[in-house]
Amino acid sequence: MNIAKLLEKRRSNWDELERLCEAMEVRGKTVKAGEQYRGAKGIVRFATLYRGVCADLALADAYHLPPATVTYLHRLVARAHNQLYRSGKFSPVGFFDLIFRDAPQQIFADPCVRVATIVFFGLFALSMYLGYQQSLFPDFADNVVGSEQLSALEQMYDQRIDGSLDHYVSMSGYYIMHNTGIGLQCFAYGILLIPCLYILAYNGVALGTMFGYMAREDVGGSDNFFHFVTAHGPFELTAIALSAAAGLRLGVGLFHTAGLTRMDSMRRSAHRSVPIMAAAATLFVLAAFTEGFLSPSPAPYLLKAGWAIMSSALISFYFVVLGFPRGPRRSPVRGT
Amino acid sequence: MNFLSRPLDTTIEVVTPENIAFEYQLAGPFRRLPAYLVDVLVRYGIIVVLVITLIFVVGMIDIDVLGAFAIGAGLVSYFLISWFYGAAMETYFNGRTVGKWMFGIRVIDVDGCPITGRRAIIRNLLRIADLAPMSALPSVAMEMPPVLFIPTGIIGLISVICTRRMQRLGDIAAGTMVIVDEKTWRLPVAKIDDPRVAPLASFIPGDYLVSRNMARTLAIYAERRHYLTPGRRAEIARHLAIPLIERFDFVSDVDFDLLMLALYYRTFLADPSQEPANLGPLAGYSPLRRDQNRTVSIPT
Repeated sequence: MNIAKLLEKRRSNWDELERLCEAMEVRGKTVKAGEQYRGAKGIVRFATLYRGVCADLALADAYHLPPATVTYLHRLVARAHNQLYRSGKFSPVGFFDLIFRDAPQQIFADPCVRVATIVFFGLFALSMYLGYQQSLFPDFADNVVGSEQLSALEQMYDQRIDGSLDHYVSMSGYYIMHNTGIGLQCFAYGILLIPCLYILAYNGVALGTMFGYMAREDVGGSDNFFHFVTAHGPFELTAIALSAAAGLRLGVGLFHTAGLTRMDSMRRSAHRSVPIMAAAATLFVLAAFTEGFLSPSPAPYLLKAGWAIMSSALISFYFVVLGFPRGPRRSPVRGT
Repeated sequence: MNFLSRPLDTTIEVVTPENIAFEYQLAGPFRRLPAYLVDVLVRYGIIVVLVITLIFVVGMIDIDVLGAFAIGAGLVSYFLISWFYGAAMETYFNGRTVGKWMFGIRVIDVDGCPITGRRAIIRNLLRIADLAPMSALPSVAMEMPPVLFIPTGIIGLISVICTRRMQRLGDIAAGTMVIVDEKTWRLPVAKIDDPRVAPLASFIPGDYLVSRNMARTLAIYAERRHYLTPGRRAEIARHLAIPLIERFDFVSDVDFDLLMLALYYRTFLADPSQEPANLGPLAGYSPLRRDQNRTVSIPT
């Protein structure tokens, strides 16, 4: 059998497929390769050529094709395959399902969420109390956060919130970046467990101490501080705890495989952690909007407090009512 | 396929819905690191351009409050770009970022399907864990510990080494892998210009059938012999050529390299129905041992 001749015969088809692949590289449209490939015609032609190459590859062994040619065919098929099955676009329905059905169920059922929430809010509340109790623990805040930091904090909230919009707007930009960054770091380091718990605990303690310190009667800027943080606090703090929980879920999957291979265990726990992370991301977005528009605005404190109460109620409703287990039909991916 | 029988190589087999198994070449750390560095540069480039534009716009429109809003917007977009650049690029450009495009690599699902947005977000968010542990330059660490952190990437490197698909932790969690997706495409067919090959091939007995393994060996040899010196070629070819010379009853001074080429020519290039090759000045030459009394052998 004459390979050179066979290759010559198939060569033109392969070249054509390559040209089409090149044309589809950026936007997936075949029309770039020439006017005759416009619309459905181009797709049909592409599919025909792709099937042809697949057949050639399948028969490569029977033809005794030289290895270099087989490698070439492998690459050509891979390339065409990448163009045929392109990355899926974002679907709103799937996202709605993820947020309102999978996520609360998963959050309710997942022990990692409980661990992360207890660590974060427990340490937050504890250090808030310790930071507030001036008479019992006079040095606590200074020792934990540092006196320089504390005076910087006081200075930052020195200006009245209804008079200095520009100061607070740029500050909220900084805090969106900073706090969401903490959440994402918790998620990422969660796969290694210890760093995540460390970051989470550290931020819980630091934030709690600052809150406690600012709540003291004799501290300047206390009113402005609570004016600023009340509205977005519930969303943001919950989001940090949730993203740490999603990260911990991944880490638990990596270290505690429950009889699966480590790969499969990781993939399954990733599958379980995605809804939690999606919920956290949604909360972060809500927090960012609140922080960008409501918090720095000179709106009355009553409105901000009302918003905080409403958001807390919404979060509780979301976790408890939507998350309450409701039988096998609607249950998400379960643990072992 | 059995794990033990698989060659030690960086390829991974993927079975498509068309029931075709094709191979991807995995991208190792030495392709991925430069791609990542390029991405870091691109990311900071975008941020710098954005900041300059913001400064310019705010400078043009002279309103007090706008400056504060610009700072806020700048910080938020810095945050968004630095965390979501990779995920957005991979979702919308079919598994590629600018760096990956420059170095010819692509992220795909472990099943060979393209990457979805969800997977892209997971693997890009987890990058920070793969870059751990952070280290600081010893001299700098004394003065400003929290500022200059250099990610060492040890965790990701260990993970890449230990997994068969060369996945870092983010890849494992997202179920993705990074493969080589090269743009240079040429179809290699070994050319044989030596005029002595065709005549020699015509003396190979017609009942000698080339097995599949033999064909593969011949093809690899013919493709790679250009990189070898004549002495090395003979050394490699002799293991096959000596038994074949015995079998074909050739004279023992037939060039080993030439015999391999002749077999290659007969297997891949010659057309069985073709006319006998025009031998030209070599007419009447025969490498067969029994013909040696009749003709004078020419030096090979």
